[in-house]
Amino acid sequence: MNPILRIVLFGLFTLGLNQVSFAQKKIEQEKGVKKKDVPSAAVDWLNDAFEGKKKVKWYEEFSNEGRAYEGKFWWEKRFHSVKFDTLGAIVDVEIEIPFEELDESIRASIRDYLQSEFEDYKINRLQIQYSGESDDLEDFFDEDENEGIVIRYELEYTGKLKGEISKFWEGLFDHSGIFISQQEVEVRIMDNLIF
Amino acid sequence: MRKIVLISLMLGFVNLSKAQEHVFFTGFFPEFAATKSLKNGQKLNFKVENQEIIFRNLDEESERWQFRHYRTDLMSFYSWSLSPVSSVAGGIFYRFQDGANAFRVVQQFALLDRNRTFRIAHRFRTDQTFTDGEATEFRLRYRLAVDIPLQGEDLDPGEYYLVLSNEPIFSLQGGDFDIENRLVTTIGKLISKQQKLEYSIDYRTDGFFRDGFRTRLWAKIGYFVNF
Repeated sequence: MNPILRIVLFGLFTLGLNQVSFAQKKIEQEKGVKKKDVPSAAVDWLNDAFEGKKKVKWYEEFSNEGRAYEGKFWWEKRFHSVKFDTLGAIVDVEIEIPFEELDESIRASIRDYLQSEFEDYKINRLQIQYSGESDDLEDFFDEDENEGIVIRYELEYTGKLKGEISKFWEGLFDHSGIFISQQEVEVRIMDNLIF
Repeated sequence: MRKIVLISLMLGFVNLSKAQEHVFFTGFFPEFAATKSLKNGQKLNFKVENQEIIFRNLDEESERWQFRHYRTDLMSFYSWSLSPVSSVAGGIFYRFQDGANAFRVVQQFALLDRNRTFRIAHRFRTDQTFTDGEATEFRLRYRLAVDIPLQGEDLDPGEYYLVLSNEPIFSLQGGDFDIENRLVTTIGKLISKQQKLEYSIDYRTDGFFRDGFRTRLWAKIGYFVNF
């Protein structure tokens, strides 16, 4: 047998030997749904809080927190994701903003955490998350009243832990930039794109 | 970057109207790839590609329609992750082709751009091909691929996706320079987190600077599995 063929066949054999174990990671699955399949309370809330023309894409989301609906749209040049429970009650509103737009004290607090945790890191994406009672959230968006509103920051970053390779993470920080939690984000297989 | 893509796209379509005068063949192209994830982001990849010709325009009229083995390529890569979205890899390759068996070594750098909905993959490769009785061929390749989920913002198991890619290949062999271009449209299905099935149309053009401009059109079916 050709020696190269032999090497390659050996390679194929060894590929099949082991199973890889998977650590606890963020699990989230969503599929597009039509507006008519979304609870009407959710559609109504969105139209009341964000009055005006917008093109909303609706998704049904399944995650380790359960099932939910999400409306995604551009509003005042920012990308918005609004999450509702299965009855159409508002859960939270997330708006993508540049990290540099945060107050210096919040940025410093987040950076302090990332520097203490990782040998090296890079911030990729930030979403500001507003949650609270349905009426409070509606008042916040259409009347600028912030009573009862909880603000958090959801940050996506690459971070290199000591002795490991760099990975993607999603971290949650409170209104002042204090770390709450983080989980690794799995990057979908891309072998068909690189090999 | 945009210029490179534009030029290569143009190269892909130029001379189409004259296709009758040139070599044209088409056929079936199954491929299989298995990738084993190792420690610290390292990966071992193995791939088999098989090309069967179904039609070739320059053959005798009675023999134009055929089912003839053209090539079988075996390749294996070892890749090292530089970050969650970039990697370098080295590979070996062996080609079984009537009278033109070849051995190739490959070096590559790949980078993935993640967008909210789609992904853009850049792949830079250099390779050296050794064929008996021929001068060594040196090639430089750049592939740009856009990967778009077709159901929802993210691709979940059971869902379909679209990949559009183009790859110009610059080659130098014994003082002769040539360019090949590969334009591929793929519809894929993420069967599970570890398996993908892809159907593609792969349109290849070469011989721009040599005698015999050639186009090859392949119907591909590919199965990708990760361990």
